[in-house]
Amino acid sequence: MNQPTSRSAAMELQPTAIEEAEVGEPAIEVRGLRKSFGPKEAVAGIDLEIAAGSLAGLVGPNGAGKTTSLSMMTGLLRPDAGQVLISGLDVWADPVAVKAVIGVVPAEARLFERLSGEEMLEYAGRLRGLPVAEARSRAAQLLDVLDLAADAKRLVADYSTGMRKKAALGCALIHNPPVLFLDEPLEGVDPVSADVIRRLLTRLAGSGSTVLFSSHVMELVEQVCDHVSIIDKGKIVATGTTQQVRGGKTLQQAFIDLVGPRATDEEGLSWLGSSSS
Amino acid sequence: MARLLVQLKLRLLTNALRSSTPAGTTFIISTFFALVVAVGGFYVLALFRGLSASVDLTTVIFTAFALGWLILPIFAFGLDGTLDPAALQLYPLRTRPLAAGLLAASATGAWPAANLLALLGVTVGLAAGGLGVLVALIAVPLQVLFCITLARLVTTSMARLLRSRRGKDLAIFLVIPIFALIELLGQVIPNAAAHGGITAASFAGVDAWMRWLPPGLAAHAIQDASHGHPGTAVARLALLAAVIIVLGWLWIRSLSRALVTADTSTGSSQLRGSALPLARYGLRGTVAARFWIYQRREPTSLVYWAMTAVIMAVVSASTILGPHKHPGVVIASAVVGAGFVGYFHANSVGLTGPPFIIEALALTSRRSLRAYFSGQNLALAVIAVPLLTAISFGLAAAIRHPMQAVPATAVALAGLGAALGLSNILTVTLAYPMTRRTGSPMRQAAPGYGSYTFGGMLANLVGVAVAVTPVILAAAFTSTAPAAVRTPALIICSASYGLALARAGVQIAAREAEGRLPELCQTAIHSTI
Repeated sequence: MNQPTSRSAAMELQPTAIEEAEVGEPAIEVRGLRKSFGPKEAVAGIDLEIAAGSLAGLVGPNGAGKTTSLSMMTGLLRPDAGQVLISGLDVWADPVAVKAVIGVVPAEARLFERLSGEEMLEYAGRLRGLPVAEARSRAAQLLDVLDLAADAKRLVADYSTGMRKKAALGCALIHNPPVLFLDEPLEGVDPVSADVIRRLLTRLAGSGSTVLFSSHVMELVEQVCDHVSIIDKGKIVATGTTQQVRGGKTLQQAFIDLVGPRATDEEGLSWLGSSSS
Repeated sequence: MARLLVQLKLRLLTNALRSSTPAGTTFIISTFFALVVAVGGFYVLALFRGLSASVDLTTVIFTAFALGWLILPIFAFGLDGTLDPAALQLYPLRTRPLAAGLLAASATGAWPAANLLALLGVTVGLAAGGLGVLVALIAVPLQVLFCITLARLVTTSMARLLRSRRGKDLAIFLVIPIFALIELLGQVIPNAAAHGGITAASFAGVDAWMRWLPPGLAAHAIQDASHGHPGTAVARLALLAAVIIVLGWLWIRSLSRALVTADTSTGSSQLRGSALPLARYGLRGTVAARFWIYQRREPTSLVYWAMTAVIMAVVSASTILGPHKHPGVVIASAVVGAGFVGYFHANSVGLTGPPFIIEALALTSRRSLRAYFSGQNLALAVIAVPLLTAISFGLAAAIRHPMQAVPATAVALAGLGAALGLSNILTVTLAYPMTRRTGSPMRQAAPGYGSYTFGGMLANLVGVAVAVTPVILAAAFTSTAPAAVRTPALIICSASYGLALARAGVQIAAREAEGRLPELCQTAIHSTI
């Protein structure tokens, strides 16, 4: 029943139809990015512009191409075609310069399990060229802010999902990158840890850094992001300020209208419920 | 309940067979080996007929089977869904029928059947007369029941631990005795037996204390019945049955506890010390610190070092145990040891797995990649140099040619340099994802990359052998020179040569890695930790 509405909404919210808010110079520019795995086209030519100082969300259903896109934007996956510019630097032409200005939190918190949280952050800082004292000092401060100070000397292998996400965020922030990429930063994270991460991201964007993250949590994106892009089947189907993409509805509803609701047949579950035997 | 759990076990087995994934292949290989054990075990036990030490040898084999039942379920905890009581924790089941069901499920499958068939070899090898065969037909099922109950007790009481990170670490360490046992049975004993170092008579009297263990009770009951002592035989069987009843009672108690015990915490402890060692020495020192910590804390790394030591000992074992002493085997051990150090670390990106992304995001230039590879080599050399030197000296002493340790150490130093350099190059050019199969504590090459593992091993062993040839020739040509001159000259020149080879490897690997970092990242992402 909602199908015609969602299709018409998709037509209305084509990326080109949305007037971009010119907040500042773009920190992230993506042009015609494509990637195929065998016959499957995971990313089918996306264009994106995120202004410096934005807190931007990239949302989409499972398998839409979010992780693949973020991997190509951060130099972890070679694209088939297209260009990615971070602060004007080409990711694939000048990876050395780009790596110095970005921080990345991958979807699964990929950390060194046999290091303690404290060693992990110090290691990340030293890899980024921070002096020993500075790396240790920043590691201690980040562990404190991320509410991990009490577990600083425990092995990462013994951390919960939320603790790992926070530790991974600490590793990505330790060199104070102007541009931060996060893939599903709140996946499997408890509400308290989620709040810590959310506040840190807001603070970071408030200080002038650019944050781009992918998420399934529409409420979070709606609350904290000033820019939203919706990706479906490897294409950006809507992009603009959060208000523009919402179009007077909730982001959740706008998202469902755009990517189409999943057809369900609940009649087969007539036995389900306490009134049934 | 018993029927339902047996059906569950059979369903799990048939699903494994139908699977198109490696699980299907693993199932077929496992069943094939079970058949080999059944036929081979029966044949070996039957061969003991008429030997003076037949009961001693039978006791050793019965005990070996029991040890297998004790160790292997810990090793393969995740493989059998019926081993973990947590899988049944949420169902409204009473403990006793559940225990009967789990026991029946344990007795179902190729390996319990293979165990029973193999041990029935005693009806030919040890039992004599009708009474002997009758007691054997009772003793063997009792021995199998003892093995199953013992395995159940151990896995149930350790279930919480085995599900945790520490338990998985423990399972990895069990690889060391299993690997050593395989090498002992496959290489050392056949070689020693071929040279007359070990005969059947060597086992006479080994059961002086083993006869009082449950497997010994079963074997000696058959012997007693065969020699016309039915009363002693029955007493031994009764004692064995009592042991099984006690183990079963302990197991049911343990099962009752396991069904109502929460399992959410891994009970981690705090580490001492705060500083990342060597971090003050730039990127090279920082990377070396990380690799050094991993060599100490990562069970797989410790297993690799232990396997290197075992392999080196096995290469020299035939000379140590045999009547003829060949001094050259110590040098051969050094070559093989260095080759395996290179092989075990030849896929460091796959071994590091997804966390390599953190390193890759910071490796911005050829210079930083050189620091990365040399830091890695530094951490490995800190362990490999003293380990290979100590083993070379130990083996030289064992074959009573202590001076042979000098050329062996020289070869080890040069070989290690070559091995580390080669492992850096192979890490970049022959990187492959490592995955962990369900239930297997050790990671293996992902499906389709088996040839990469073989290629890495071959390249390292051949590369090291070729690289150390000048050192071996130098040692041979200077064998008559005074030791005071020859020893330092040989060691210093070999170490310098090894250092140069490692440095060359680092340079080549850094140059190659510069253009391949995204591809290496994908290899790392597709690996599991």
